[in-house]
Amino acid sequence: MTTPTVLVSGTDARRWMLLGALSLLLAALVLFMRDLEPLFRDAFPDLDTPVYVRETFLQLTLDHIVLVLVSSAISVSVGVAAAVFVTRRMGREFEPLVSALSAIGQTFPPAAVLAIVVPLAGFGFTPTIVALTLYGLLPVVQNTIAGLGTVPPAALEAARGTGMSRWQILFRVELPLAMRVIIAGVRVSVIINIGTATIGSTVGAKSLGTPIIAGLVGDNIAYVIQGAVVVGLLAIVTDLAFERLERRFTFGAQAGGGAGA
Amino acid sequence: MIELQGLTKTYGGKDVVSDVSMTVDSGEFCVLIGPSGCGKSTTLKMINRLIPLSAGRVILNGEDVTTLPEEQLRRRMGYAIQSIGLFPHWTVAQNIAVVPRLLGWPKSRIDDRVEELMHLFHLDPDFRAKHPHQLSGGQAQRVGVARALAADPEVLLMDEPFGALDPITREALQAEMQRVHQETGKTVVFVTHDMDEALKLASRFAILNQGRLVQYDRPIELMFEPADDFVQDFLGKSDLGLKLLSRRWVHQYTADAPYAGVRASQGEIIETMRSYGHVWLVDDQGRPEGLFGARLGVAREAQQGLGRLTQVETDWTATPDMTMKEALSRMVWRRVTALPVVDDAGHLAGEVTMDGIMGRQP
Repeated sequence: MTTPTVLVSGTDARRWMLLGALSLLLAALVLFMRDLEPLFRDAFPDLDTPVYVRETFLQLTLDHIVLVLVSSAISVSVGVAAAVFVTRRMGREFEPLVSALSAIGQTFPPAAVLAIVVPLAGFGFTPTIVALTLYGLLPVVQNTIAGLGTVPPAALEAARGTGMSRWQILFRVELPLAMRVIIAGVRVSVIINIGTATIGSTVGAKSLGTPIIAGLVGDNIAYVIQGAVVVGLLAIVTDLAFERLERRFTFGAQAGGGAGA
Repeated sequence: MIELQGLTKTYGGKDVVSDVSMTVDSGEFCVLIGPSGCGKSTTLKMINRLIPLSAGRVILNGEDVTTLPEEQLRRRMGYAIQSIGLFPHWTVAQNIAVVPRLLGWPKSRIDDRVEELMHLFHLDPDFRAKHPHQLSGGQAQRVGVARALAADPEVLLMDEPFGALDPITREALQAEMQRVHQETGKTVVFVTHDMDEALKLASRFAILNQGRLVQYDRPIELMFEPADDFVQDFLGKSDLGLKLLSRRWVHQYTADAPYAGVRASQGEIIETMRSYGHVWLVDDQGRPEGLFGARLGVAREAQQGLGRLTQVETDWTATPDMTMKEALSRMVWRRVTALPVVDDAGHLAGEVTMDGIMGRQP
């Protein structure tokens, strides 16, 4: 018993350390990008301004996070609600429809969504949120349906047999047991959106895409690198954090051990 | 007490359970048994309406609960199933406490109740904080049954609860169930297809075949008066009589023994013999020494006098805690129709007889 426990906690500790180290690196980059000017000046001697300074990276990062948070919050609430609905008896016939719609949402390129939404909703924040929300829906819907499908039938029968109401069964048994798989879906959705949110800058939403677009337009490769590195780090840190979160919702039965049945 | 009145389940125009009516008195252990597909499990699940009734009524302690909201009804009936169905994300204590929590018991009362049940099922207090995946199958089902009993339900419904356990664990849980039933006096409705299990636990049998209740009786009545050929066949496939006796104890069958002291006159002995058909001879300490009569083929001898004395040897006395199966075996082996029952000191405390076995309702 002791050896595997130690091994697991060793990996655990290492992952926590990695998460901490990368978070610190991200924070340092965001806060002190300007102090890296000499470095970028050496690398790109031809550029007049080798560090993006129109907005602070802190401001851009916060804007970026708000975009992702708002769109993911909508994706998750709509996605989980839709998946719960189609896994109830009354909604079962809508399952193919909901799956198809969310699949279309993801296959439709976000750039195309922007092109459609901008004329309707104007530039800036709103069209970006619409595009990101649609883009992030599919993993949430799919994983919630799959997660609810992993709930052991015996637990459901017992829940009914002990006199839980439908809502009690959903909130006390089904969702907690499906949570690990649902969070895995949210993780994919959020990571995708952290990357995709950069295109919001093409329609005027402030994000970490703003230096990237500015760099592409103004032929300033240093801006592109600065924006891309911060987005990439943000995605990696978020992914590691989700990985930690998923672990909390792993119960014996799902880890592969029998539930004694 | 629970009454089923005309319970019927129809799927696609076909009755899978048809007009089942029976009354399970308080404290009875009623076993629903029959071949697979006979509707026993469906019948059980209609009692707590996990399967909706097509027709019929369920009366719980005089109250018609057919129209009660399902959840309320189920919280009044304990429910344990073969696949156990513990909630993997909850601890043992939380699993046991599920119905009391639904009923909104105060926390201290829930804690006390969980402790009481864990004690009742001999679960170590350390188990409170464990999760289901840390339990063995037997421990998990103990928790499952404890959960079913947690809110002190009026009826306990059990659907093949021990069917998935290995034979040794199953026997242990059957014994525990028997003890718990005696201690709590709960009314139990129990589905099984295992005749041994049924005989061990049941005070009443409900035999189902093709969705119909063919016989509802005490075990002994089933043996002596099977309702039809189906019941006879179903029972006849097992050594039911012997199995029944293996669940009964000598003390349950012990009757006063006719006896005479070794110094009694022949006249006295003959007189006792005339009244009882046989007589035990006991020594000065009251230990059985010999037997007149009660042998196969001695009836004629006895009419003329005492006949031959059969020496009592220690290997054919019975003790009160012996099973009746063993006692019967000794009678067959010794070719006698009565066995002396002796207490710890070897004194004659009574007798068990062939007539007693046949005449008594086990």
